[in-house]
Amino acid sequence: MNAFRHAMARILGQPLLGLAVVVALWFWAGMIDRATVQLLSFLMLNILLAQSINLLTGIAGQISLGHAGFFAIGAYAAGVLTKSHGISVPLALILAVALTAAVGWLLAIPAGRVKEFYLAMMTAGFGLLCFEIAKEWSSVTGGVVGLSGIASPTLRNLKVLGWTFDAVDLFRAMLVATAIVLLLMRNLVQSYHGRAFFAVQASEIAAGSMGIARGQVKRRAYAISGAMAGLAGALYAHLVGYLGPDSFGIMRSVEVLVMAIVGGMGTIVGPILGAALFTWLPERLQVFAEYQFMVYGLILMVIFLVLRRGIAGALTEPTRFIAVRAMAAARAADTKPAAPAPATNPGPADRPALLEVRDLARNFAGLVALDGVSLSLRPGRITALIGPNGSGKSTLVNVVSGIYQPSRGHVVLDGEEIGGKPDHMIAQRGLIRTFQDPRLVPSFTVRENILLGGQRHFRSPMLAAALRWPSTLREEADMVRRAEQVMALAGLDGVADQIIDSLPYGYRRLVEVGRAIMAEPTVVLLDEPAAGLSEAELGRLATMIRHLRDTGKAVLLIEHHMDFVNDIVDDVVVLDSGREIYRGDMRGMREDPAVIAAYLGVGQNDHA
Amino acid sequence: MTFAGQLIFAGVCVGAVYALIALGLNLTFWATRTLNFGQGSLMMLCAVVAVMVFDGGFNIYLGLLAGVAVAGVIAAATEAIAIRPITRLTGSMGWVVTTLGVGIFLQGFVSKFFGSQALAFPSFLFSPRDYVSVLGVRLSAQYLIILVIALALVLLFELFQRRTAWGRALQAVAADQDLAAVMGIPVRLVVTLSFVASGLLAGVAGALVAQITGTVDAAFGFNLLIFGFVAAVIGGMGNTWGALLGGIFLGIMEKLVGGYVSTAAEQAIAFALLMIMLAVRPEGLLGEKEFVKV
Repeated sequence: MNAFRHAMARILGQPLLGLAVVVALWFWAGMIDRATVQLLSFLMLNILLAQSINLLTGIAGQISLGHAGFFAIGAYAAGVLTKSHGISVPLALILAVALTAAVGWLLAIPAGRVKEFYLAMMTAGFGLLCFEIAKEWSSVTGGVVGLSGIASPTLRNLKVLGWTFDAVDLFRAMLVATAIVLLLMRNLVQSYHGRAFFAVQASEIAAGSMGIARGQVKRRAYAISGAMAGLAGALYAHLVGYLGPDSFGIMRSVEVLVMAIVGGMGTIVGPILGAALFTWLPERLQVFAEYQFMVYGLILMVIFLVLRRGIAGALTEPTRFIAVRAMAAARAADTKPAAPAPATNPGPADRPALLEVRDLARNFAGLVALDGVSLSLRPGRITALIGPNGSGKSTLVNVVSGIYQPSRGHVVLDGEEIGGKPDHMIAQRGLIRTFQDPRLVPSFTVRENILLGGQRHFRSPMLAAALRWPSTLREEADMVRRAEQVMALAGLDGVADQIIDSLPYGYRRLVEVGRAIMAEPTVVLLDEPAAGLSEAELGRLATMIRHLRDTGKAVLLIEHHMDFVNDIVDDVVVLDSGREIYRGDMRGMREDPAVIAAYLGVGQNDHA
Repeated sequence: MTFAGQLIFAGVCVGAVYALIALGLNLTFWATRTLNFGQGSLMMLCAVVAVMVFDGGFNIYLGLLAGVAVAGVIAAATEAIAIRPITRLTGSMGWVVTTLGVGIFLQGFVSKFFGSQALAFPSFLFSPRDYVSVLGVRLSAQYLIILVIALALVLLFELFQRRTAWGRALQAVAADQDLAAVMGIPVRLVVTLSFVASGLLAGVAGALVAQITGTVDAAFGFNLLIFGFVAAVIGGMGNTWGALLGGIFLGIMEKLVGGYVSTAAEQAIAFALLMIMLAVRPEGLLGEKEFVKV
């Protein structure tokens, strides 16, 4: 089965396969009967719709139960603009797509604030709102009677730039449009923009810690997804020539969802297969058409138990998220791993601090987690932050990295106040952190996960990535090369192409630290990176942390593993109950009465 | 003034039913942190079963009993086949899709075998023409009794939750399932019974709404599910008094918009309210902000 999936992936990966299919369909459409052309036209619509929801739900992780809403807006916009306002078909199409993109962008503002079932309900509400407007705004949409007489091949009045389109012409136009959309979407998904979508899906907090502005990512996902469904709607208006509200009810949203889920969310090929299956089935299988919604219901009920990754997951290997050409370019260039930086002594203790924390405090509803802590992290030095459980170590990291707001105090990064700024802006400025429980994208390979660390260095605009501009590929290839160096340093090069979910726990920790190195930060906060690692893995982790120090980063290391800490740190800060109780070197700490009391719970008086 | 009074009265009555739906959602939310997206179909199914039994020549109350029982059983079945196996398997999105699947299946089933045409729902509480006059405002007796039933159920439920061992067990499960299990609470049973109760409430709400509208069809429930959710969200998810407040607020808004603006906008106002509420204050009017632990 795996050999089969691998073979399928190789066939589907052929660069000219898509072009061959498009050419074949182009000519075939001229030879077949009308009904089949109509069926193929609907296939194109369904592919666009399934990919639209795939981008939003499967890739960016934002569930949508109201996709028919976008479809309706695109359809009515195209219909009303051409029929009632006499705007030319291509211009109306562009306006309809722009309008749905704008609606998607606006919807992202409230929708971006909620998750899970709140989001599901909100999107369902959005779909029903669009349906109600289509039904009740009779003066524009024709209400329940509908809007008829839209330019279409059947009425022989579909004129595009002076040509009158028949059904075959329209199909060919839809074919080309769909092919272009799929190509742009593939390019986008296999770029840092697409990987940011996945990062937001896997963990919004982790995405923020890599400098990904999650609000912006969501607005883009909604706008692009809306535009795709809007395009499908506009084409639908001209394909059938009549619009009634019943085509845009909740069942349409369900149908789109079914196609994408059954095909396989989060892949490119999956929704195409799902769209093909559910375009063909009701047409050719009388029983299916009769029991359609019962079948859809049953499919939604059992799909996760039967075919978790959809048809695509069963038949082929998952899509990868780095452009093949960027990989090839990276390999072609000099791939000698960079020599490890020469071991140097720790940076002098008197260089100006990269991170200055002053009198930082944080309360949680009356509970004081952090009570006026100050510390300085200097370039090329490793500072350990230790203390018993609940002493405020992780809270400190969370406040400094922008996940919690400080209740009081200052955080200054490289001369700039960052206290209270959003986490992604802090990460963009060069402060990178890891988590106690590694937060990676589970469906990504080790290489793709490491590459996520580089997010803050990518510059290519989204359009350039979708068009796969040469500069975009060069940037991607450079980043892939740097990721190779990081993996060589971390000893992860042997598992570079393994999916992270299939690897043991220790690897995830190393990958997360590797991702932080990839970010080339100025300050790194490592939250218990050694927990659960084997001896061999501890060795690799130490190499990675020393590499950070030797390249002039300021490192803060939270750790309970004292032998590990002893070997690599330069300074130690000990917290207890949200306050600093010791600052100095390791040896002094071991003899410090306050530290001993904090760890062993001995009363202060015994030492006085 | 009497027009406004009548609208507000109708809004309060309809809103009390929305509160009942919201209460059903709150129940499963407490027990499992999930909502049944097929809840709307349970409301529809209860009303359809009642009509079928009634058309078969039996007493309408027997029909209602049968309908409510069917809704309760299917709610428990939904938990067993569409929620429990999925929450163990996938992330947060899986159960939304599977419970929606159950709802779509039921809707498809009813429209296939009972037709997608609207079925007449018999009047079992007075006739639509009966009224009582209060301070010059003619109040429909049917609406009044619906209000009484809905309010009584909400109050009973609040009492049950505060005063009985089962109510406290439910609160314990809501706070922390694992801890509740360690304390010897039969978590599985509490969860199953919560779904049964949630289904019963959905069934009653469905019958009450069908009584107002006079008809029921296969697509009857989905909008109601959203209305119930809006009520729950306005008040704060999981808050009983919030659900009542939210439901009545939504009901009054809906009737006022329908009366003074346009009946066409009656439904749309709820969807608009949902989006505004979630954007501005997702924790609801009476809810507390959930703290995100990292």
